[in-house]
Amino acid sequence: MTKTSLSRKLDGMKDNLQNYMGRAKRYNNIDGTGEMGMGIMFLGFALLNCLQTALPANSMWSHGVASMLLLFAGILLTLGLIHWSTKAIKEHITWPRTGYVALRRSGKASWTVFALAACGGAVAASLMVLAARHNAMNVAEAVYLAMLVGIYAIFIYLSGEHPWKWLVVIAMVLGLLAMTLLVPSILMASWWFPMLFLSLGWLGSGGATLYLYIRHTQPPAPEAQ
Amino acid sequence: MNEQLRVISELDRVIHEPGRLMIIALLAAVKECDFLYLLHETEMNKGNLSSHLARLEEAGYVEIEKTYRGKVPQTLLRLTGSGRAAFEEYRKGLKAAFLSAHDTDAPPADIKIEESLACIKSPT
Repeated sequence: MTKTSLSRKLDGMKDNLQNYMGRAKRYNNIDGTGEMGMGIMFLGFALLNCLQTALPANSMWSHGVASMLLLFAGILLTLGLIHWSTKAIKEHITWPRTGYVALRRSGKASWTVFALAACGGAVAASLMVLAARHNAMNVAEAVYLAMLVGIYAIFIYLSGEHPWKWLVVIAMVLGLLAMTLLVPSILMASWWFPMLFLSLGWLGSGGATLYLYIRHTQPPAPEAQ
Repeated sequence: MNEQLRVISELDRVIHEPGRLMIIALLAAVKECDFLYLLHETEMNKGNLSSHLARLEEAGYVEIEKTYRGKVPQTLLRLTGSGRAAFEEYRKGLKAAFLSAHDTDAPPADIKIEESLACIKSPT
């Protein structure tokens, strides 16, 4: 073995190690629960927004503490639904088929996510303020939602599985673009329609992933444990 | 080249075996997992996986806990503190070998190190 082949062998080992260490994170969405969680969250937001739009202007739920309580209860319900549905799928479908995994929670990673979320929130809020001043809320809203689709695209790229999900990303981008250019009044009026659109995309993609997972995996014989 | 060989020969032989390296790398990324997950990810057969796990447990790198999920028996596996430290050391060693392999000039064509590498391969 010459030095070049040794380097190649070491390169291969390094790549393999990184691949194995990244598998647990990819395994987390092997059943589509991550996407379904996003879908449920946006469905909840869309329904809340729709409810607030539909409520009469003089209703007690449209103002002050009551409206905040309504929002809080809605968010709590949505998060509860995400938690319990994910848990049910993992416990009854995923773990009996391909095994149980508890991911490591590293403090550094949590702070990175927190910092990124804070930066993203600050950018989104600045964008909204700027858009409101220039009367271009529809564009700001479309950009904001497109950023979320961008994050989803990065997630698909990193997972490296299910290339058909790129079609979901394209459909989401085209849908948002069509709403912004063709029917800006929809976006101007409320948030619920584009959020419902994205949530259906994520629910559909997550559901298809779960279907494919069930189709391609079988629970092992009892002695496998 | 001698430096690379020295670094490679110092790698932990318990971890260096490909099957065990795969197991340790998978376990390093998680808090804990069950036997079925490793079986699925490594694509080994049960006997092979069990023997590798037994070797790792013997070295004190892996903790094996037999438990139940409902009425179903479950074997939980996690890396111990010393296992995690040994894996970190192994990665550092590998990185050093990798860097020295990239830094040094190409050796003469007649230099062969296959025999030297074979000496650090432990039995499966």
